[in-house]
Amino acid sequence: MTGEAAACRSCRHFEAQAAALEAALPGLSSLSSAYASVRAGDGLCALHERYVAASSVCAQHLIGG
Amino acid sequence: MAEVVVQGPHPAPARASVWVELFRKEDWWAIWIGLALILAAAGLFTGGASLKWLAVAPQKWGHPAELTAQLSQNGVRYAALFLLWAVAFGSGAAALGINLFKFLSAFLPLFVAAVAIYFLGSWDQSSHYNLEPPLVALALGLLVSNTSGVPQWLQPGLRVEFYIKTGIVLLGASLPLTLLAWAGPVAILQAAIVSLVTFGAIYFSAVRLGLDRRLAATLGTGGAVCGVSGAIAIGGAVGAKKQDVSIAISLVVVWAIVMIFALPLISRELGLSTGVAGAWIGTSEFADAAGLAAAQTYGGYAGTVAGISGHGDAAVAAFTLMKVVGRDVWIGVWAFVLSLIATARWDRTGISNQAGAGEIWRRFPKFVLGFLAASVILTLMSRGYSYVEYRKDVVPGLVAPLQALRTWAFTFAFLSIGLTTRLRDLATVGARPFYAFTIGVLVNVLLGFFLSTQVFGEFWTQFGR
Repeated sequence: MTGEAAACRSCRHFEAQAAALEAALPGLSSLSSAYASVRAGDGLCALHERYVAASSVCAQHLIGG
Repeated sequence: MAEVVVQGPHPAPARASVWVELFRKEDWWAIWIGLALILAAAGLFTGGASLKWLAVAPQKWGHPAELTAQLSQNGVRYAALFLLWAVAFGSGAAALGINLFKFLSAFLPLFVAAVAIYFLGSWDQSSHYNLEPPLVALALGLLVSNTSGVPQWLQPGLRVEFYIKTGIVLLGASLPLTLLAWAGPVAILQAAIVSLVTFGAIYFSAVRLGLDRRLAATLGTGGAVCGVSGAIAIGGAVGAKKQDVSIAISLVVVWAIVMIFALPLISRELGLSTGVAGAWIGTSEFADAAGLAAAQTYGGYAGTVAGISGHGDAAVAAFTLMKVVGRDVWIGVWAFVLSLIATARWDRTGISNQAGAGEIWRRFPKFVLGFLAASVILTLMSRGYSYVEYRKDVVPGLVAPLQALRTWAFTFAFLSIGLTTRLRDLATVGARPFYAFTIGVLVNVLLGFFLSTQVFGEFWTQFGR
């Protein structure tokens, strides 16, 4: 942990690769897409096990994502 | 988990450049491909030629000999069509980061299967045996996916949304702006009523059943706004649990597939006109691709099934106005408002969403802009033509080839829906989310039917003509 409050998009716990998201969320590619605009930059937080916006912040941010 | 409250200003996180986004998002590629085809068609039409050689499509046939004759006569045209789509979708897929060779290796069998299904749908007995191409494509895909399974190498070519969005952009070239201006406000009003009521039904049912508010909101927008896309947009905006997003996706997928078969079947039994049925499907289906499968199926009944009035294309047009213009475009607003409520009112999760009003644009389904631009191009191209001239010259020379290309794009999508839907892979949803979502489904379907047939019934019937 860095103690630095920074956005999830730069966090090591954050996964926002489209292919990885479609693999992690079955059914997503059946009637939608991880490459779509509506997803914006959302991704999965491995630490909190939540699906979060890339602009979110938390105190456990770990630089290196 | 310890609560974390983030104080003070944060360094502005780096975002992908706007220009990069134009080439790294599926929505934009759907626009580039759709508009490039429309502009090419318009250019050829202006020069006295037409895109129709390339936009080949099966003609009605009754005997196998006619089928083989069509194939041998137009074999080169089908090969050229494959090349066109391979270059267009291949370029987009490569830009999105999908391996081009793997994409093309998968797209070739998808194209061949689409040709076979399109030809089957052109059989003069196809309506008698309910062999409408969208339903056949979906059923065949579901059968393969849930029995023998789909080989891994085929997966890169199964891009449901990419194909459906490209088809929707092309659809814009069938609808002049005057039609959008006339029917758009009614579609937006009807869609707003149903979206708000359906969201309320699911959300408050879920909360009453003791579910987490973030799950309730994710389920609610999945049912009320734009299906799986709505669920992931709101899941991200409110910071839902990963498992809860999976639950919402599963419920949307299962109910959407049920509705693909149910809505056209019920509409057919009731003898609804194509405009009314399209409006109902647009109000009560959950996803664009699923709804277009249902609407195109119903449009295919016009002129072939006794008692169904209206133009065949009206079902798809009414659906698109209701679903895309009436419901999808508001997803950014839903995400922004719910993220504010989640931050201010709901239990803390340790994660704080910093998104502002810019979220509305970031989540906006950009392909809708391509749909509108296509309509503008058609309107400009049609200026100076009388109605008779429009039917005689513009439709066969410009509109019909684009309609054929749109049908191809939709067929790729319908096949891909079935082939990517493995029911056993979907998350186990549990009873309470199922009940909450199903209450919303019932409210949505009944209210959508009432509005489409009673309140706005006359309008949609007229639209269909």
